[in-house]
Amino acid sequence: MVARKPCRFARTDRTVTFAQAMFLAVLQGVSELFPVSSLGHTILIPALLRWPVDRSDESFLAFVVVLHLGTAVALIVFYRRDWLAISRALVASVVRGRLSGDRDEKIGWLLAAGTVPVALLGVFFQSAVRSFFGSPATVALFLVANAFVMFLGEWLRQRQHAAGNRTGLQLEGMTWADGAKIGLAQGLALLPGISRSGSSIVAGLLVDLDHEDAAKFSFLLATPVIFAASILEIPKLFEPAAHVVALEAALGGVLAGITAYASVAFLTRYFKHNDLRPFGWYCLIAGGAAFLFFVTKGVT
Amino acid sequence: MKPLALVLAAAFFVMAILYFTGHGYPVGTHYKHAVAMLALAVVALIWYRFLSATPTRR
Repeated sequence: MVARKPCRFARTDRTVTFAQAMFLAVLQGVSELFPVSSLGHTILIPALLRWPVDRSDESFLAFVVVLHLGTAVALIVFYRRDWLAISRALVASVVRGRLSGDRDEKIGWLLAAGTVPVALLGVFFQSAVRSFFGSPATVALFLVANAFVMFLGEWLRQRQHAAGNRTGLQLEGMTWADGAKIGLAQGLALLPGISRSGSSIVAGLLVDLDHEDAAKFSFLLATPVIFAASILEIPKLFEPAAHVVALEAALGGVLAGITAYASVAFLTRYFKHNDLRPFGWYCLIAGGAAFLFFVTKGVT
Repeated sequence: MKPLALVLAAAFFVMAILYFTGHGYPVGTHYKHAVAMLALAVVALIWYRFLSATPTRR
């Protein structure tokens, strides 16, 4: 009898379990769109619960790609009418070779102006930044910083309105520079713990959008970035290791999509009459408590 | 500005090929960088298209 060699792509103690996978899928779907940093939460919570999940494992990376695809599809489905109108207007303007002043066309090119800087930052700096700042204690500190970004944004906006030098801007009234500024602000989310939607909503508020429009622009801007990032990682799904978590990835992607859809539906209603401060308090308390936990337990 | 748009498009396209083939990079191909360069080449071509379209007569 020849002893069977252990399969290189079998489950190990460090492979995500079914229950962990479903929990992470819900967490991803919710925290990707709430301004509380999905990346930060997917680092902090497994560390707090002491899950022995290897985040650099090929099977885990494939699982994360599917979660992001689920989130991106949910955003596309939620804003399907906007995307259809924007796509048509963009193609028409390229065919025509000039801008017509159409609202959807302007929003489409503003999204392009915001996507280029964040895409370049992501492609060239994502790996370096995340490996440098990826420890749980650092992420907890960035979650606290995320709280201050939101508090500062709300305070500056209130000051601008109290001074009477702002009158409120519609999405299509933004300049190309405003679009690029919001895109650059979204690039802050390369730091694990800083929220993509939080930083871009704050940037939107500071160029004088209201909360509802700033949130809508942030979610529209996030869609091509999340979608393109997932598409670029699709080769990971065909790695032999990906088959180890095929069921978890498939169900997790659907679950992440459903929770992301519910989250964006909730947030678009929430931002009609509310601001970022409750999320700021959450990040301050959760980040501060997590940092104290990691420091006292010696997890840095 | 039109020649600049074309030069940029060509430069980004060449960089995309270099990244994709891993030419001059000791650690192999960088397909994400290649895709980013390709996207920038498309942006430059769209810019060229806007610059070269016939102006509207009023």
